[in-house]
Amino acid sequence: MERAAQQAVPLGQMEVFQALQRLHMTIFSQSVSPCGKFLAAGNNYGQIAIFSLSAALSSEAKEESKKPMVTFQAHDGPVYSMVSTDRHLLSAGDGEVKAWLWAEILKKGCKELWRRQPPYRTSLEVPEINALLLVLKENLLILAGGDCQLHAMDLETGTFMWALRGHTDYIHCLALRERSPEVLSGGEDGAVRLWDLRTAKEVQTIEVYKHEECSRPHNGRWIGCLATDSDWMVCGGGPALTLWHLRSSTPTTVFPMRAPQKHVTFYQDLILSAGQGRCVNQWQLSGELKAQVPGSSPGLLSLSLNQQPAAPECKVLTAAGNSCRVDVFTNLGYRAFSLSF
Amino acid sequence: MVLKPQSPDAGSRTLSGTRPGAVWYSTLLTTRVPSEAQLPDHLHSLPQCNASCFNVHYHPGESSKKRKPKVIRSDGAPAEGKRTRSDTEQEGKYYSEEAEVDLRDPGRDYELYKYTCQELQRLMAEIQDLKSRGGKDAAVEIEDRRIQSCVHFMTLKKLNRLAHIRLKKGRDQTHEAKQKVDAYHLQLQNLLYEVMHLQKEITKCLEFKSKHEEIDLVSLEEFYKEAPPDISKAEVTMGDPHQQTLARLDWELEQRKRLAEKYRECLSNKEKILKEIEVKKEYLSSLQPRLNSIMQASLPVQEYLFMPFDQAHKQYETARHLPPPLYVLFVQATAYGQACDKMLSVAIEGSVDEAKALFKPPEDSQDDESDSDAEEEQTTKRRRPTLGVQLDDKRKEMLKRHPLSVLLDLKCKDDSVLHLTFYYLMNLNIMTVKARVTTATELITPISAGDLLSPDSVLSCLYPGDHGKKTPNPANQYQFDKVGILTLRDYVLDLGHPYLWVQKLGGLHFPKEQPQHTVITDHSLSASHMETTMKLLKTRVQSRLALHKQFASLEHGIVPVTSDCHYLFPAKVVSRLVKWVTIAHEDYTELHFTKDIVEAGLAGDTNLYYMALVERGTAKLQAAVVLNPGYSSIPPIFQLCLNWKGEKTNNNDDNIRAMESEVNVCYKELCGPRPGHQLLTNQLQRLCVLLDVYLETESHDDSVEGPKEFPQEKMCLRLFRGPSRIKPFKYNHPQGFFSHR
Repeated sequence: MERAAQQAVPLGQMEVFQALQRLHMTIFSQSVSPCGKFLAAGNNYGQIAIFSLSAALSSEAKEESKKPMVTFQAHDGPVYSMVSTDRHLLSAGDGEVKAWLWAEILKKGCKELWRRQPPYRTSLEVPEINALLLVLKENLLILAGGDCQLHAMDLETGTFMWALRGHTDYIHCLALRERSPEVLSGGEDGAVRLWDLRTAKEVQTIEVYKHEECSRPHNGRWIGCLATDSDWMVCGGGPALTLWHLRSSTPTTVFPMRAPQKHVTFYQDLILSAGQGRCVNQWQLSGELKAQVPGSSPGLLSLSLNQQPAAPECKVLTAAGNSCRVDVFTNLGYRAFSLSF
Repeated sequence: MVLKPQSPDAGSRTLSGTRPGAVWYSTLLTTRVPSEAQLPDHLHSLPQCNASCFNVHYHPGESSKKRKPKVIRSDGAPAEGKRTRSDTEQEGKYYSEEAEVDLRDPGRDYELYKYTCQELQRLMAEIQDLKSRGGKDAAVEIEDRRIQSCVHFMTLKKLNRLAHIRLKKGRDQTHEAKQKVDAYHLQLQNLLYEVMHLQKEITKCLEFKSKHEEIDLVSLEEFYKEAPPDISKAEVTMGDPHQQTLARLDWELEQRKRLAEKYRECLSNKEKILKEIEVKKEYLSSLQPRLNSIMQASLPVQEYLFMPFDQAHKQYETARHLPPPLYVLFVQATAYGQACDKMLSVAIEGSVDEAKALFKPPEDSQDDESDSDAEEEQTTKRRRPTLGVQLDDKRKEMLKRHPLSVLLDLKCKDDSVLHLTFYYLMNLNIMTVKARVTTATELITPISAGDLLSPDSVLSCLYPGDHGKKTPNPANQYQFDKVGILTLRDYVLDLGHPYLWVQKLGGLHFPKEQPQHTVITDHSLSASHMETTMKLLKTRVQSRLALHKQFASLEHGIVPVTSDCHYLFPAKVVSRLVKWVTIAHEDYTELHFTKDIVEAGLAGDTNLYYMALVERGTAKLQAAVVLNPGYSSIPPIFQLCLNWKGEKTNNNDDNIRAMESEVNVCYKELCGPRPGHQLLTNQLQRLCVLLDVYLETESHDDSVEGPKEFPQEKMCLRLFRGPSRIKPFKYNHPQGFFSHR
């Protein structure tokens, strides 16, 4: 793509504008379709693009197959978060969550199935939704973002059941603790809070920035990313990326990464993290950096592991962030190619 | 070896009946038995086992029926055959036993054989009897019996030979018969082959295709209706399809002959008409000069009478000497000026006499003349033998301009004038333009605005990509190769720029890929481009002048926000523009934070490049600006680098990236009143505001003692938003607070 653009020097008004738009594009969210063959990516202009992973990964993949099959305007503001249920793609950003049918999404002029707005108290600025979390057991969708609350929406009826208050600043991220149905939330206020879903109460608070091992005051307190596998939690952001033992709420490993991390996830016995900087970082639980795989964007915001059993051939890691490209890693060792808006 | 074992079996094959007869004795006794010595050698070597085997068979107790198959199967059989053959050869010398065979009855022989065998059995039994009794006279008796049995043996031998001979005869006969059959068979085969061949010939004949079948004949009814009876011969051809076809072919030939005749007639007719046309043409062309002379003669009258079209007519008179592209431009520009734009004035400059010297009177078709003239001249010059300056001369000749040029003065609303002089390069067949801008009031030229109004760049990229440094006529490249001109770029300053739109105004259309395409001037092409081009030219001049003005203040660190754009910014802006300088394209590409723009192909060499520096306290924000010639429809592009607590660019700070996007992508809200020439100023002012917001909202590090360097003065709803933690860069006008986009 870059090469083609370099040759085409004479640019008209439209082309320049499009080039600038692409240049300043940020891809905030990704979600893999339930069939595992498609990847949805949402950018800062409120557009969602659907890429065909199977076409891009096939042996006869051309340049076009790395372009989106469909791009549509989903929201007015940035699309900060997306999740997929077995039928729907749920996208959220500018205070609203919208549902799209995966079955119809590839058609032209696809309209959203429904849209819901959590009950906000402020009216001056519509708070954004930064994180979506599916709790499949209870058929709940949890939304969190600008109004410092966790809203629970019943996916059956579309009603908002309850809201959890406690954060003093906006919420960045959510994680689900499967075993005991608890939700973790991390926010700008620097706290990670554990909420019991059954009682809808806060059960634990970890104020990460107060721990000397991981606090980094020059970066701020905010918690930008969070992941858990029940006993353990890993979080990062302003404070350093740290592995926590939840029951004793003590930091066990501090990962030596200077740049703030924006996305973290457990993968097998590794921890994958990404943030400021070009690389996807792979950590051993002991804190050793196992590998740093460079991508094409100057900063990464989201990682997505396609582990849908329906499409084992499309099992890839995709990473997106401060560019119009979604990097595709067919194995964890190197970037195979990039999908591009 | 005394016993001949083969005899009985040979006999048994031929014998059919049994009847012993004494008559045979005599004949039997006369037959001569060949002695052992006469027997062929191979019989001596008969294997012993054979003999013993036959001995067993001849045991008296055995029945003849049982014996027979065994003998046939035994190994003695081949030996038997050989012996008989040699027997017959030898015996033929003495007497003919073969003849004897024919006389004898095989049935009788069989009887005799049976009888002999019985006798032998009997005699043997008697001998055995006598021997067992062992009487004195037994010896004599035995002797007697032995003699008798010997006789019988002889008989058996004889019979054996006969049997062999018969067998051989039988075989010969069979063989003969077989050969006859074979001969017949061969004959049959030959005949069959012949039949087949004939059949093939027949089918070949049947399949024969005549040429006439391909001819599309007239249908049968038509044939009988139209053909004269001497060809159709209905009575003969009705019944006979062969004759019918022949007749139809005849008719076809007849018809074709007639048509050929007609064709010839038409041709001659055409010739005649052509000749007539020629004559008429001649007449018409001779008419034209006469009419012209009448016109010339009437001119003084017109002048004398002060006819209103006098002035225009004069100009038109001069225009007649213009080369076709300039003529098209002149006509179209005059027409456009009269119809749409009173501020447009058109004039012709240059020496008419020189043009006249170049061209013949304009009665002749101008296009052809100009081209061939130019070529003629070229060839005559090439013949000139001045070796040293030859190439230089050739170049000059190649780049020669037509002595006449068209001057277009485009007056803008603010009394600034764009002077455009259009030239025509005769040998390259392209048009060029030189531009000059004059303003109503004298301008103080800022240093950084040097390129803005320079004739070299003021019209650059009027249409996207049209930088006017390359010849638009693909054929020119070949001409350049001949005289060693690498590119037209080196000559544009002198000759003027051959922009594409200029060619189009002159009605010259150059296809992109066919280098030797003949170029014809086209009025409609020029007309369709005239209006848009004129408008573009005006906006270009205006935007350049606006930029020119803006630069003058920018250089002094003042961001000249006009009063109608104040609502875009808060009242108090602390950051200040401290530097505004022009930089070279190469310097721009070498900056470390402009890589993205270069890679995206947005930093072409037709753009203008500037560097701005915005400061607030210790924070210094560098902004590299790409100014597209298409300003302001194409916005200036900013790339930022903030030096404050380390170096921050869009690579390592999302907020810097967001600021860039605010000025580059969301530029439409900064355009201000139409036509948006204030964009650059507003973008720079916006940048100052953004820097304020950035610095004031920077989270305060609690661990560092002392007050914040930049206390928050701006009203913000929230400090950060979204995963990228973007600061509230959006300014809301009447309320004056900052929010997120």
